[in-house]
Amino acid sequence: MRRACEHALRVIAIAAIATLLWRAIRPPIAGGVDVVHGDLRRALVRWTLSPATEMRVVLDAAPDPSTRDWLRALARAGGSVHWSSSRPFAAAAVVAEPVPEPNGVTRVRFASASGEAVSVADDAGAIDTLPRGGARELELGAVAGAVRASGTTFTATSEVRDSVVLRPVLLLGAAGWESKFTIAALEERGWRVASRVHVAPNIDVTQGSLGSIDTVRYAAVIVLDSTAAPSANEIARYARAGGGVILGGSTARSGAFASLAPGRVGARVAGVAGAVSSASPRTGLGGFPVSSPAADAVVLESRDGVAMIAARRLDAGRVMQVGYDETWRWRMAGGDESAAAHRAWWSRLVAAVAYAPLAPLAPRGSGLTSVDETPLASLVDAVGPSTPMEGRIAAHTDNARLDWMLFILIAASLLAEWTSRRLRGAR
Amino acid sequence: MSANKRTRFPIPDSRFPTSGEFVFATAQYESGDWDSAPLVPANLIDSVAKYTSLPVAPTGAIVALASDDLFRFPLVFLTGHLPVRFTDAERTNVRRFADRGGMLFVDDHNHDIDGAFHKTAVEELTRAVGPLSRLPNTHPIYSAFFKFPDGPPNTSHELNGWGDNLVHSHLLAAMRGNRIAVLYSNKDYSSEWGYHPDNKRFLAIDNTKFGVNIIVYALTR
Repeated sequence: MRRACEHALRVIAIAAIATLLWRAIRPPIAGGVDVVHGDLRRALVRWTLSPATEMRVVLDAAPDPSTRDWLRALARAGGSVHWSSSRPFAAAAVVAEPVPEPNGVTRVRFASASGEAVSVADDAGAIDTLPRGGARELELGAVAGAVRASGTTFTATSEVRDSVVLRPVLLLGAAGWESKFTIAALEERGWRVASRVHVAPNIDVTQGSLGSIDTVRYAAVIVLDSTAAPSANEIARYARAGGGVILGGSTARSGAFASLAPGRVGARVAGVAGAVSSASPRTGLGGFPVSSPAADAVVLESRDGVAMIAARRLDAGRVMQVGYDETWRWRMAGGDESAAAHRAWWSRLVAAVAYAPLAPLAPRGSGLTSVDETPLASLVDAVGPSTPMEGRIAAHTDNARLDWMLFILIAASLLAEWTSRRLRGAR
Repeated sequence: MSANKRTRFPIPDSRFPTSGEFVFATAQYESGDWDSAPLVPANLIDSVAKYTSLPVAPTGAIVALASDDLFRFPLVFLTGHLPVRFTDAERTNVRRFADRGGMLFVDDHNHDIDGAFHKTAVEELTRAVGPLSRLPNTHPIYSAFFKFPDGPPNTSHELNGWGDNLVHSHLLAAMRGNRIAVLYSNKDYSSEWGYHPDNKRFLAIDNTKFGVNIIVYALTR
């Protein structure tokens, strides 16, 4: 009985060795189909030197950019390249880009479909995780190197490649607390502010460099009231050329600005007494709601069912209508963080409309970046969508795991056979 | 007794500033004689209405330094003759007021650098907002509306030798960034501007013009 078992183990080992040998030297599938699952790099070299009629890869995860580009090159060279996956891939993306604000904030957006967990990290360590996938937007004061969003089946990488060119903001309005504190908020946040504040007939208080209103000079124009009406046509041209305009309070009631505004100016509503120091401080502010928003307008903030902030595109530019006309009360009478919150809020409004051309941090193609923001989408773009294998081809799959299993089987059966022989005293 | 209850002339809500309207506010504090210059507000309001197109409330307001109402008036005038000792609540409020962008205009009604008001007020303001330093006579406040190339205009009390017998060449200020948080005067503008507005017609040169500059500066910078 013992000898029969040893014989059987030898047979098993020899059969496994024969199988491995056959798998190593077997010819391509009939019709020239070569299927690779595992050491893709070796197959790519082989296909480059001697292309198969059909080159098919089975992927466990989205390939890195160099592998993907190699597949793309094979396909562009006339080869028939197809791919499929051993498990469903999650569509994922990450992008890091500068926010057009003076404090150098980087906005990171990342997403993972199919509920696959995704974690985001930079060179300094982990930043955030979405255990059930989904999408999130972060604003980070500093980012170290590349930003990576990783899941089981993907690693997406992004890097800030541009800086924004921020020009001064022009504020136009009458002398008053809203003008003063809007200028203060933006300056304290790092914006350069030029202003023309109307004090008396033919008398304006100015600061900064004032000149023609165009995108070469200003990132955005804030119009707080109708005292800027004489400049309305110039401001309209500026917006259509790509500039950002914020119309505050009831400015849009002025005929010259009405055609630019995202909506009409509603009847003034009072703020809720004492609410400026609450968790929803803007409910304590009075203002003019944006009524009847235009078809192309987007409502950005509502209160009690009425829009308080809305925006629209105007040719190449953006126009925002901000109904609040006494935001200074939030800064002065709000809670401990109100001054900082007021600054951040105004800065965010300006950033949302600002004309901020990008300046590359490094020449394109300099090799300084290893960006792969959308691994699955880029793979589809390179070699087309996943094509499931026919059963005949699937059976031929070069399965590295099977090779390892055969190797272990050979080693185990030979070891067992040798141990059995030694224990019974045979050589 | 709370500061609100001590307000001698409580102001109905309708008198608080509505959107865009400037209200001249006088600070009421626990110590001293905060109401020593009752005619100054009306006089400056008259000048603002006369020279500018700013919407201005026809009457001023009185606001307790320790009250939350202080934050409704980003420019507040404080004067007096007597020693000033802020309560903890007043000191905290003045500090928050300055940090948030408010401007406190303090005038020594004694015109006397050895006087009780000057010594105590400077001491209290230093504790609340930091040390006061000389404001350069080229500061934008001197050109915010009218031009004062030589700095703060002299008062008749300085020229007459009253008080400390000095002509003060500079105002003092505590800054927040590049903005004035506290403007301090030894020049006794409280006396200089303390007359009925109708009497301006008897002056060859309106002596409240610098008051207009202070208000315009506060509203625009």
